[in-house]
Amino acid sequence: MSARSYDAVVIGAGVSGLTAASYLAKAGKHVLVVEARNKLGGLSETAPLGEGFSVPIAAHALYALDPRIVKELKLARHGLKFAVRDMALVGLRPGGKHVVIARDVHATVRNIAIHSKADAEAWPRFRHELFALARALRPLWWDAAPAKPLPQAGREKLDRLGRVSAAAWLDSWFESDALKATLAFDATAGIQPFEPGSALLLLWRAAQEMCGLQGAAAVPFGGSGALASSLAAAARALGVEIQTGANAVKLLVQDDRAAGIALASGETIAAGLVLSSLSRRRTLCGLAPAGAAGLETVAALCDERKTVGQAKVLLTLNALPAFNGIAVPQDARFVVADRLDSYAAAGAAARAGRLPDELAIEFVVPSAADRALAPPGQHIVSALVRPVPFAAAAGWETMKVQLAAKVVAALEAHVSGLARHVGAAQVLSPADIADRYGVGDEGFDDIHVLSPWNSRTMTPIPGLFLCGAEPVSAISGRAGRIAAALALRAEDRR
Amino acid sequence: MSGEKVRATPFHARAASANRDNAWSARNGVTLSSFYDDAGDEALAARSRVAIADISWRWRAMIEGPRAGEFLSRLLTRDPMKLDPGSALKALWLGDRGGVRGAGAVARFGRESFQLISAAPDPEWIAAAASSFALVPRDISQTEGGLAIVGPYARATLAATGLDVELEPLTFRKLFWRGLDVTLSRWGEHGGYEIWCKPDDGVVVWDRLIRAGLPFGIAPAGLAAMDLLDIEAGIARPGRDYAPAREAFAKAPTPLALGLETLIDDEHKSFNGRDVWLAARTTETRRLAGLEFDGDTPAPFTPLLHDGKAVGHTLTSAFSPALRRAVALAQVDTAAAQPGTVLSLTLPSSMDVPESRKDTARVVSLPFLPAPGQIAP
Repeated sequence: MSARSYDAVVIGAGVSGLTAASYLAKAGKHVLVVEARNKLGGLSETAPLGEGFSVPIAAHALYALDPRIVKELKLARHGLKFAVRDMALVGLRPGGKHVVIARDVHATVRNIAIHSKADAEAWPRFRHELFALARALRPLWWDAAPAKPLPQAGREKLDRLGRVSAAAWLDSWFESDALKATLAFDATAGIQPFEPGSALLLLWRAAQEMCGLQGAAAVPFGGSGALASSLAAAARALGVEIQTGANAVKLLVQDDRAAGIALASGETIAAGLVLSSLSRRRTLCGLAPAGAAGLETVAALCDERKTVGQAKVLLTLNALPAFNGIAVPQDARFVVADRLDSYAAAGAAARAGRLPDELAIEFVVPSAADRALAPPGQHIVSALVRPVPFAAAAGWETMKVQLAAKVVAALEAHVSGLARHVGAAQVLSPADIADRYGVGDEGFDDIHVLSPWNSRTMTPIPGLFLCGAEPVSAISGRAGRIAAALALRAEDRR
Repeated sequence: MSGEKVRATPFHARAASANRDNAWSARNGVTLSSFYDDAGDEALAARSRVAIADISWRWRAMIEGPRAGEFLSRLLTRDPMKLDPGSALKALWLGDRGGVRGAGAVARFGRESFQLISAAPDPEWIAAAASSFALVPRDISQTEGGLAIVGPYARATLAATGLDVELEPLTFRKLFWRGLDVTLSRWGEHGGYEIWCKPDDGVVVWDRLIRAGLPFGIAPAGLAAMDLLDIEAGIARPGRDYAPAREAFAKAPTPLALGLETLIDDEHKSFNGRDVWLAARTTETRRLAGLEFDGDTPAPFTPLLHDGKAVGHTLTSAFSPALRRAVALAQVDTAAAQPGTVLSLTLPSSMDVPESRKDTARVVSLPFLPAPGQIAP
């Protein structure tokens, strides 16, 4: 049997992999995408749960999709349409005194004034500084090689913010715990808001753009899985071949260069360029031949253990009861985080392998805006829970039951009657998500947030690139776009 | 070895009674005689007669398992897969960025069984690297003692003890020696033999060698004498002449700058750090050189000048009793490394000589002297 041969093979048909494959195909390369599962989408997967429900397994909102990808790959023409274009951030508080952070600055100021007059005055200035600094940093996060260096003022602020925690930064602006605890949720992706460098996460988040709006969160019709579908259509239109059920188990290396992959079926595929959507750790420790990426590099990577992650709780509801003190749930993401201080205790508990007493939860009701996701009158709730231990002391199976009960109880406090309407529930532990998608198993390091793209995308093995190496774990496609560009450039130089 | 207790070697009881000046050193966590009587005499004994030296301080690890050969082949700059059981080779291991991390010998005990022997222990890193190959190295530095038998009469001494000494260099054999299980090897530096034995047998082994060596004028040699032989052999030692590349991204020292490039096999196509080494071999400007002096020994890192320009610095220096002059290893620019080049240096003032003095050094080819075992008795 002669091996199939391509110019490039991409491992993983998630948003990153499909984006990378599309750009490579656009440059005239003959590209194959191999996906281990029988389904496209990776982290943006929308899967059925129970009878007639479709739930977002990993990502329930998009906040970092690169607008240039939407435009250059003509995703709108391939079916991408947004159901929600800009979600407000709502911090649910006891007694219905919620913190509502919307795009309308005046409305937000009025709302914050309920909690603190001083914070209400500070809000427009904070928002302006956050957005301006984040915009200035876009070249660093958006392009492989920034066209112009950061302005001096921006660099000084960045140097400072790179060392402070989100909690300290928010403390320097605001006094209301309700506001700070709500804002801090976005600084908990793999790190705690009390850890140095976490302020960068707020900044990175604010630098993103969705549907032309800075720092927005959006959801396409059909859930985030629709993004993968439109990307796959765009990729196929460009001539990309996509093979599902093809599990890449080994990277082939010849003369110290990537030379293709071997599948679990035993088939080998030859390709001069290999782009992996998997994490650096899975790619270099699992796929690459032992030691090929450097004994020291690989040993250090394999040694790294992630301790804290995020879990997903998905619920189906027979009916959606009224939210205490708030009207429409479709355009909002809700954060349940009582106090800023509770993040620290929760982080410590999670690191120790226990389920924290006070969890931080972000949940959305995707079916409120996109009626096709649930049968008429019924709804789904998608909740992101942070921080939870990666490996549980008591085992994740028992903890999943506890976690689901905890999340339902936390939601019940703000949506009375919700518990009675819960139909099916699904809990995904951090390890479940990591094993399902081959990502998210690496410890968070704030150094990656500011490191240049090639340090994340390139590997010690020439011809092997990581196309999912975002500075912060998110569905963005940017890493795929940049990996394709770097791979093409490396190919030209040979 | 900080925090760890300094251990005695299996030969300590005999070394202590021979050590007239009670002069001890610690190396790799074990106590060793610095010298027994006079380091110069001991070095001369190793060169002209026969000497035994305690080499239990060498770090030794067994690497055994289905992928042991694959791992060592990836680790080392020469391919141990090509070894027949019972033979050994000398090689380097480089960091990911091409710096020399360690140097040593690897001996093949069986199809899946190897021993790594080195002067500078690197256990954590080797263990971490081996874990990618599902291997757990087993440190045997404390479970076996070792004596080196060096000198023109080393072979005759061993033969007199009743050992079968028909052994080529870079081979070894497990032997049953009048009631003792020992390994007799020839992977050491000075053309001699090494005997490895169980700790409890150390004293017996020492006594048998001393008794058999009496007609040949055998003497125990301390660390100072053995280090002197190293210098005379032109061997740069980790920890003494260079800092091994223990940092993750260290590109220095390169094999060329240490005169160790002969330990790299160009036919071996896939070892750690190879791509960086291939790039470094064209750009490296430093070489290891031997220097001879008419005057005193210079301190390590004394600057060396050529036509008024700094071209390098000295490493270890010593007075060689065999050459009867001061010699030193040095790192110098390629242009100044040609034998015959005269370099100048300044010796600082001291209590004996109140003024600093200018001195000259001649570059000579390494080694300064052939290994003692190669001199016909």
